[in-house]
Amino acid sequence: MPILESQSLTKTFRRPDKASGFKGAVKHLAQRKYKNYTAVDGIDLSIDAGESVAYVGPNGAGKSTTVKLLTGILRPSEGTVRVMGRDPHTERIANAHDIGVLFGQRTQLWWDLPVEESLKLLKHMYGVSDADYKRRIERFDELLDLNEFMPALARTLSLGQRMRADLACALIHDPKMVYLDEPTIGLDISVKDRLRAFLRELVNDGTTLLLTSHDLADIEEVCERIVVIDKGAIAYDGSIERLKAHYITTKAVNLYLEGAADVPALAEKFPDYEWTAGEAPSEVTVTYESNRFTTAEVLGSLTAQLSPRDLSLSEPSIEDVIRRLYAGELTK
Amino acid sequence: MTHAFAVDRALVVIAFKRRLAYKSGWIFGLALGGGSMLISMAMWQNLLGGGSLNGYDWSSMRAYTIIGFVAATMVFGAADFQIADRILDGHIAVDMTKPVDFQRARAAEYVGSMISTAPTAALGVLGAWLLFDPPGPVTPMAGLLTALCFVLLFPLAFGITYLSVLVCFWTKRYMGIMWLREALLSFFSGLMIPLAFMPGWLQAAAWALPFPHFTTTPAAIYLGRVDTAGALGLIAAEAAWVVGLWYAGRLVFRFAVRKVTVHGG
Repeated sequence: MPILESQSLTKTFRRPDKASGFKGAVKHLAQRKYKNYTAVDGIDLSIDAGESVAYVGPNGAGKSTTVKLLTGILRPSEGTVRVMGRDPHTERIANAHDIGVLFGQRTQLWWDLPVEESLKLLKHMYGVSDADYKRRIERFDELLDLNEFMPALARTLSLGQRMRADLACALIHDPKMVYLDEPTIGLDISVKDRLRAFLRELVNDGTTLLLTSHDLADIEEVCERIVVIDKGAIAYDGSIERLKAHYITTKAVNLYLEGAADVPALAEKFPDYEWTAGEAPSEVTVTYESNRFTTAEVLGSLTAQLSPRDLSLSEPSIEDVIRRLYAGELTK
Repeated sequence: MTHAFAVDRALVVIAFKRRLAYKSGWIFGLALGGGSMLISMAMWQNLLGGGSLNGYDWSSMRAYTIIGFVAATMVFGAADFQIADRILDGHIAVDMTKPVDFQRARAAEYVGSMISTAPTAALGVLGAWLLFDPPGPVTPMAGLLTALCFVLLFPLAFGITYLSVLVCFWTKRYMGIMWLREALLSFFSGLMIPLAFMPGWLQAAAWALPFPHFTTTPAAIYLGRVDTAGALGLIAAEAAWVVGLWYAGRLVFRFAVRKVTVHGG
């Protein structure tokens, strides 16, 4: 049963069509021209309860606009959205009770007040009982070290602290559906790790999650399903494993030879593989098509004939696939 | 207490605390406002001397100026820039994800903001009263009705402020709107020049707007320029503006919210 469903979801904005320079500004004043720009173009999306979905795409692809449509902030130009059976825009207040939202680039903390004050206000807004509030704050503290900065004014927090506090704000009412728009933007590795661990716990507890991020480690560590969006339309929708299996058609082995590697000679000797020189003269990378050869076959032939000093396998990277999807090199 | 009132109270408290965080700005504004009141007093004292103009002598003009200053300045010393900034910088996106009525939440914040300024306002009024020793209300009933008129000024000021801030959805700027609102208020309330000094058609235009209730109405009731029935009529008109502007705010927000175009993250 889908918790979220959108059909032909489209958002078109009107932008001034203005030539550059003084002349352009004066001309636009006298004769206003606008161009329509479609940020989200016919998105069909269905998310079941308990799913964790990564929503990724290059800058300007329409990720954040989609999140704003799904959360009821924006009204669709065309198409429909239903979240838990409601239209999130026309039934905004009822919908807001059941969702949690975090915008990485916009805080929901009251800037000039202690973090605790913001959380207490949200407690009232969502009608959270004293017992539930206490229990959740304790849990957030265990996972996010919240008490470390609860009395601090929001404007004095570091980015990592601010993001942890914002995450607590988004989840204080135990929402059924959570939207996280770039939750790890600008954070250092240790804070990212903590946030990801927290999000994994959230997913394990059965919360439905839609996550947008440019950090593919967020996606691999937290989500099972990935939706790739480009130019406002869905370029891929499926499991991360299927994405890898479908698009990662090559694998690589790094060889460390006894002497310097003669790449042209090796390419001639093993024409089925692609050979690339490594950083050191004795290093060479062998790329092979995984649907033609098994790794065991490749390793068997290479070790038998070249006797390498050492070797390592390169794990298939989702980053490469996403990069190629963004670049339009891959199709659905 | 119902859930909605608990939220209102929490927002009132938050706005009160936020206001205290920046109290020096408000005190500075109050000092400037007090200065303008003194200038106005000096001008009218010179202009009126021992005589009167259009029914105002120096004694009644002292009360008129203080009432005008309190009514037209104090009740607007609230969170309009905070709402405008949230619309203009896109933070309204965050507000829209909260399970609260946007207008009601802003009204609660306005109340919190005004409560924080009440002691300073009371002190300012007391100081002006002691300094200029204006006459008291013509009757106790006039005093009571003036107080009622003042109570209604707060929701009226919120209605005007909220509607003017919503215009930001279209203009993408707030300063010009604020200046226009201040100019209209100053002129049509009678704060700058009493409406009695204006030609009939301009007075009619003023009474077609809510602004005269910020100076002319309370001053007229206080100084006994209208009888009790007339005062009740004016207060009823003021109350009608309060209700009308509240619903106008709702209507405008319904259209305004379609203009939300928060780009980027």
